[in-house]
Amino acid sequence: MRSLLTGNEAVAEGALAAGCNFYAGYPITPSSEIMHIMAERLPRRGGVFYQAEDEIAAINAIIGASWAGAKAMTATSGPGFSLMQEGIGYAVMTETPLVIVDVMRAGPATGQATKPAQGDVMQARWGRHGDQVVPVLAPSTPQECFDMTVRAFAIAEELRTPVIVLSDEFIGHGREVVEIPGRVEVPSRRRPRGRGEPPFDSPDPRVAPPMPPLGEGYYVLVTGSTHDAYGYRDTRGFETHYRLVRRLWDKIWLNMDKLFDYEERNAEEADVGFVAFGSTARSVVKAVEILEARGVRAGYVRLKTLWPLDLRPIRRLAEAARAIIVPELGMGQLILDVERAVRGETRVVGYNKVGGGEPIYPSELARFALEVLGRA
Amino acid sequence: MERLEIMIAGRGGQGILLAGYLLGLTLIKHGYYVVQSESYSAETRGGDSRSELIVLKEQGEADYMRVRRADIAVFMYGEQLRKYSDKVRNDALVIVDSTFIKPEELREGWRSILIPFSRIAEEQAGTIRVANIVMLGALARITGLYTLDELKETIQRNVKPGWIELNLRAAELGYKVAEEHGA
Repeated sequence: MRSLLTGNEAVAEGALAAGCNFYAGYPITPSSEIMHIMAERLPRRGGVFYQAEDEIAAINAIIGASWAGAKAMTATSGPGFSLMQEGIGYAVMTETPLVIVDVMRAGPATGQATKPAQGDVMQARWGRHGDQVVPVLAPSTPQECFDMTVRAFAIAEELRTPVIVLSDEFIGHGREVVEIPGRVEVPSRRRPRGRGEPPFDSPDPRVAPPMPPLGEGYYVLVTGSTHDAYGYRDTRGFETHYRLVRRLWDKIWLNMDKLFDYEERNAEEADVGFVAFGSTARSVVKAVEILEARGVRAGYVRLKTLWPLDLRPIRRLAEAARAIIVPELGMGQLILDVERAVRGETRVVGYNKVGGGEPIYPSELARFALEVLGRA
Repeated sequence: MERLEIMIAGRGGQGILLAGYLLGLTLIKHGYYVVQSESYSAETRGGDSRSELIVLKEQGEADYMRVRRADIAVFMYGEQLRKYSDKVRNDALVIVDSTFIKPEELREGWRSILIPFSRIAEEQAGTIRVANIVMLGALARITGLYTLDELKETIQRNVKPGWIELNLRAAELGYKVAEEHGA
């Protein structure tokens, strides 16, 4: 079916298509439309919608619902996302499948509620304390909002992990043609084969342990404290803790080939390369066309997964390019990864702009690239 | 036409966002690929309201989501005309609601068409609330980007049941008045 949807509408459609049957949230611009749609549609399909008293309650409600067997999600923006961090950490430790959508707006604090930004990259990755990794997907179009929300549910179910979809106000409120497939397949988490199979250990770290749903007769202890294969707390020993956090870490990092996704153009022959994600990547596509029309060899790497991040495509881009430009709607966070990838061998420059709903225009990016190349 | 940029602007409460949405759906029906974005202020009434559409033949050309310099601009209120004139091409087709906008406010070079959408809505359709649909009817005639029938089909499928009849009449009124304006 062909529709004209905003990114937020496409997220909600994606969640419904993926079988989401529990939503808890607290309204916040520019994410609220996701909540409105879930409020209207979920109860009609036998699902549960819960408007929580705040984002802390919302994240904890979806954790509980997920343990009861639901495909659960929430959506928010920067300030609410901050409040959810402790719960997300708990979900990592308890291996709880969740989908969390952050539609980024200009911050810090209440900032500019209706204006886009890309300043939550580091919060999405590192907002929790302790050793933890959470996959972060970054859509550039409403179509990708649909596809990546479906994918987020699939990853969450398969790896028993929270997954973050990092959208922004431009995409969230931008409408575009979205093709909704007739049927969407999303795997469901595996249940233990019997009572003996441990719910918190796996012989292969790349494979998540089975998840016993609460309320169906399994005896299971769920705790945010360090625990052994059967969920018993061990808040003192080295072995139990190291074994657990190592496995949780490896569960994501060793699945890099499954989780990491990107798109590139002229990556191996560009004089000037761009690395971007989300709405900004759309301006990059146009900027590269403008530069090509002026005879400049330009290329880009567009990151569709922000975490875990495979640095190799960025390195390849850097090998040919004389300079790499990292445009961000913010003061610069992704640029740190690019610098890490390039290791000082190619010049890396940020193009940073945020506030008032001002986009990074393709023409200004092209102009900046010419300046950087010393041809302006 | 490779890439056509359309901007509709007015004040909150004039149905700008709905008009942009219905226009987008109608253009898709006609076979175009459409990217649309909206911006509005926190107030539901008053404040700024703006809908921007990029109209393309194919998806492959869809890159940047926002209007850079509009080829076609519709201003439903004077304040937004003054505010967003710089986002309009010097030779753009500019359609304004002359109920609220005086001819001297329009820039030279623009191909301007002045139609009192709000007054027509109020006097002939019975409520100012359908001025946005009168405008869409006129836009069909003026631009030829879509037909009146395509617009009416969009209205039938996407407008709340209680408003369909009234909106269909408003669309016809707009089309007719544009004809009378020689468009």
